[in-house]
Amino acid sequence: MSSLSSVGSGGVWRTPVLRIAIFLVLLLSALGFAPRTCAQETPYFVAYSHHLEEPGNLEIETYSIYGTQKGAGDFIAPWMELEYGVTAWWTTEFYIDSQHTFGDSTVFTGTRWENRFRPLMHEHWINPVLYVEFENITDADKTLKEVVGSDSQFDAAEPNFEADASHAHEIETKLILSSDYKGWNFSENFISEKNLGHEPWEFGYALGVSRPLRLEATPQHCNFCRENIILGAEMYGGLGTTDLLTLSGTSHYVAPIAALQLPNGVTFSFSPGFGLNDNSHRVLLRWGMSYEIGGFGRKLRSLFR
Amino acid sequence: MRPLLIPGLLLFGSLAFAGATTHTHKTDDRGVWLEIAQAPVKTRDWKNPYEGKPEAIAAGEKLFRQHCEECHGEDSKGHRHAPNLRSSGVQNATPGELAWLLRNGNMTHRMPPWAGIPEQRRWQIIAYIKSLGADPGASATNTAPASHGSLR
Repeated sequence: MSSLSSVGSGGVWRTPVLRIAIFLVLLLSALGFAPRTCAQETPYFVAYSHHLEEPGNLEIETYSIYGTQKGAGDFIAPWMELEYGVTAWWTTEFYIDSQHTFGDSTVFTGTRWENRFRPLMHEHWINPVLYVEFENITDADKTLKEVVGSDSQFDAAEPNFEADASHAHEIETKLILSSDYKGWNFSENFISEKNLGHEPWEFGYALGVSRPLRLEATPQHCNFCRENIILGAEMYGGLGTTDLLTLSGTSHYVAPIAALQLPNGVTFSFSPGFGLNDNSHRVLLRWGMSYEIGGFGRKLRSLFR
Repeated sequence: MRPLLIPGLLLFGSLAFAGATTHTHKTDDRGVWLEIAQAPVKTRDWKNPYEGKPEAIAAGEKLFRQHCEECHGEDSKGHRHAPNLRSSGVQNATPGELAWLLRNGNMTHRMPPWAGIPEQRRWQIIAYIKSLGADPGASATNTAPASHGSLR
């Protein structure tokens, strides 16, 4: 009722409920008419493989992480991704991050813009991908999309009102090496991250392995069948900084992964992660859903013809 | 945060357009034949373990609908940058050459590599494509050069 009471002459567009309703109608319309395609993506949350978004396709992804925390409340950090295949060798991705800490508050923690490039135009035993990301986030960000330097769970114990006041502009680069062999994917990521202020480079790693439960496809259309299920695992952690290149004080995680890729373009992913030392969060649960819209770029352009 | 959010969204939108605009110009299929011609000689003799198997062809059709139809069209006769898969160039290519092309893609002509799909499924797709047979109405631009070898 409070929203309706604010509707005056010309004020209807400013009504939050109405704006959300219009957004949902547009989104559902787009999803309803969009051709659905099935991606060939690996199910990793942290590691990256060399498989990029198909050109012209848009993938809308929403993920969350639940983490246990010593010295503060546990947290849930949801984030949204818009991933677009600009060309067959260039994928760009935009992130919006947030988090809620139990017993504390809910905050929007920033945005990130990521680009991945394939320098080689053919498949090889090991396929390199160059990754560059600009982050405009606060210290309250708990999405843990990567672990670098001497990141530890104690960094996340800072109260939101303090952490959220500290902004970080960072450049992150990764060398992604990835191979496919007999249905398996093996991915190795070497991460370097630099705060654009006067701070040293921080290093980290992420490893991933995955495989569909069944390699052949069956003629029947099915949703909950083995060919649509991908299992895997990833391991990630920090490797110190340029000032102190050591494993001492770093945190590390191992996380099995399960994903269900439905033929209609929807993918569900789940991963329980476990800290490997005292610096790590004891448990990190990740889950998410993505939806792939085929030919999005072409559809968008046709609207303006 | 808002100062970055709005330019970021604008940039993302413009990239979407940038990606889309490369769709607009009509290309002939010569790039695909040139790409097939790059397939290593040893790949030409690769045999499709699913060739002619009805179950595999049906599975291949299902996979085609999921992964290929978006660009190559429901009737597989091609669409803008994507070639007609029933043209003589594709139908005369060996299964090994098609397997090589499917695995590596043709990234300069917007075809992504499909190495992320297990090899068995790629062979099933090829079994389906081969089962389509040649389209007698394929246009000149969808016809391969007389010999792939001559392009090598």
